[in-house]
Amino acid sequence: MGLNVAVIIKLEPDFSEGNVSYNPDGTLNRTETKNTLGPHSAIAAQAAFYAKVMHDAKISIGTMGPPIADLALQQAQQISDADELHLYSDRLFAGADTLGTAEVLKTGIEKMQGKMDIVFAGHRASDGETGQTGPQTAWKLGFTFLGNVISYELDLETRTIRAKRMVSLQGTPDVIEEIEAPLPVFISIDPAFKSKFNTVSQRLAFQKYQKAATKKAKNYKEYLKVFNGKELGVDETLVGLPGSPTIVYKVERIPKSTATRQAEIIDGSDPAQLQKVVGRMKEALSAMVIK
Amino acid sequence: MVENYRHLYVIIELEDEKFLPVSLEMLGEARRLLDDFNKKYSTKEKVVAVVLGHNIKNISKQLIEYGADAVIFSDSPELKDVRNTIYTKVISQIAQDIKTLAEVEPEYASEIKRPRYMFFAADSIGRHLSSTVLAELESGLASDINKLVIEDIEMSHQHKTAGKKETFAKTLEMYRPDFSGFLWTTILCLDNRNPAYKRDYHPQGCSMIPGVFEPIKPDSSRQGKVIEFVPTIDEQDLKVKVLSRKIIESEVDFDTPRTIVSFGRGIKDDPEQNVKLVEQLAKELNAEIGVTLPISKKPYVVSSALDSKYMIPDRVIGTSGHKTSPLLYIAAGVSGAMQHVWGMKDSGFVVAINPDEEAPIKDECDVFIKGRMEDVIPLLIEEIKKQMLVVEA
Repeated sequence: MGLNVAVIIKLEPDFSEGNVSYNPDGTLNRTETKNTLGPHSAIAAQAAFYAKVMHDAKISIGTMGPPIADLALQQAQQISDADELHLYSDRLFAGADTLGTAEVLKTGIEKMQGKMDIVFAGHRASDGETGQTGPQTAWKLGFTFLGNVISYELDLETRTIRAKRMVSLQGTPDVIEEIEAPLPVFISIDPAFKSKFNTVSQRLAFQKYQKAATKKAKNYKEYLKVFNGKELGVDETLVGLPGSPTIVYKVERIPKSTATRQAEIIDGSDPAQLQKVVGRMKEALSAMVIK
Repeated sequence: MVENYRHLYVIIELEDEKFLPVSLEMLGEARRLLDDFNKKYSTKEKVVAVVLGHNIKNISKQLIEYGADAVIFSDSPELKDVRNTIYTKVISQIAQDIKTLAEVEPEYASEIKRPRYMFFAADSIGRHLSSTVLAELESGLASDINKLVIEDIEMSHQHKTAGKKETFAKTLEMYRPDFSGFLWTTILCLDNRNPAYKRDYHPQGCSMIPGVFEPIKPDSSRQGKVIEFVPTIDEQDLKVKVLSRKIIESEVDFDTPRTIVSFGRGIKDDPEQNVKLVEQLAKELNAEIGVTLPISKKPYVVSSALDSKYMIPDRVIGTSGHKTSPLLYIAAGVSGAMQHVWGMKDSGFVVAINPDEEAPIKDECDVFIKGRMEDVIPLLIEEIKKQMLVVEA
């Protein structure tokens, strides 16, 4: 029996220099900033590609966004050699919070070809940064959710996955937890994920699929299906603004806290002044030696 | 008035049979919020701590000392490891179990359906758990909160109220700093009162940034109820097996070093060279290297060795990363966004290197060296070499 893998991705502001633009007050200038496949989405696509190379998985990618989000699908196809691209695009979906978004993604994943064995999502979006959409989509799908996965291996005979998860908790050292679960599972992939292809045959397969991916991504529109709300068959009251419990009430500049320190301003090109600064640094460091 | 939603539930996390600091911080904030709330509304809503695990009955009681009015615990060998599915199911059961809700406050037994508010930690466990619990309860949440206010909010909203002016009483204003650190977004979880799609959204949930809120001083004279909830555990919810847990040492250590050198977007004119300069400066001072959040998003092209070593989330200082308090903190090319300042403000002596006197970091440092890092750091290294040999010893 084959393996069906889905990836959900997001078009995000491109934070790389030359593409990102900040307003004079330090906030992101969204109009000037270009968009790209989110970095965490890219890692999710890599994790799916690992299943392709190792197990010849069939890969489907879904995203919710404006029509231009097909760019992200193309970029993710280039990474993963995906066979099917889904864009869920409708004004009805706009303004959704994570629950309203998860409803669309869940419905979309259920429309993909084949029953999914694994769904991958990124750790979090680099603009929204909530990390909630993945687990909420998993819950709506009824899939076992595995978070912070840094590596995984599949056993297709028993239809099980073994995965390592990174658990970071305040005030305790990080823990790598190894878990086992039957498929299907929903994985949010940790930024530390790296695919390793050790054998010659794996590396050959890697090259083969990479070539195929480039070819497909050039003609990505052949693989692309665009769905509006009606075509997707979503309940209109569960998506977009009606389906979102939360709203953004206000956005404000974080008030400058009252100065906690009185800075002495010195000229960085004056060695005599720097000499004094280093003297004070030294004092600060030696303070702890006195017990 | 019928009260279907009451109380503030705090989801407690345990590691090695100890409460995580963030759990006690959340209890502290919950206590302060509800004390004000009860005064303002002349009511007696409770702070309820919820804790799951194995052999936890005895330590559950301690949560009363930290501010809880009641503790609900579930004890089972199946709850020893935190597994998302079973934890989500049990917490959701607790939130909706009429008998348990009645035990918390018998006077409202006939009315109450669910908690009003629910707090989780914004960490590896709570972030996902909050998402799945609120998905199960079909309500809303905001993540990574660092300020909370409860208010009666009068507003008209195209969707929530169909454009009519309405008052949403006892609404939790959830403040989250955005990725730039300059903006605060306030999220509200509101019922849909729009007649076209009326729906209740309770509890109002959030996940809270560890290290932000203060716990209260434990007080052993505090009284409270300890309630056991016996969950319904379905085999289907136990599919994940935890095979092993291995502690790993982080390569980044912000606790031991006496000096931290951090850099931000000020490296932009020559990223590669500037990161190398920071590296040299840190070496001279035997310092650990930190970065601001935007840097961890890899905005600049540097060699892959520098990139994977320094421009990583593990090195972020601030609300999205670590809280540090070294004796000496040097911020090079760091503007001083609030979210970064939170992670360094407890440092002993703070030096900032920045060409822009208007940068907020100026108010957070003891010495502000005006200049570009590429010009200042080489001179600084020279001075350090002359003076600092003793400190290394």
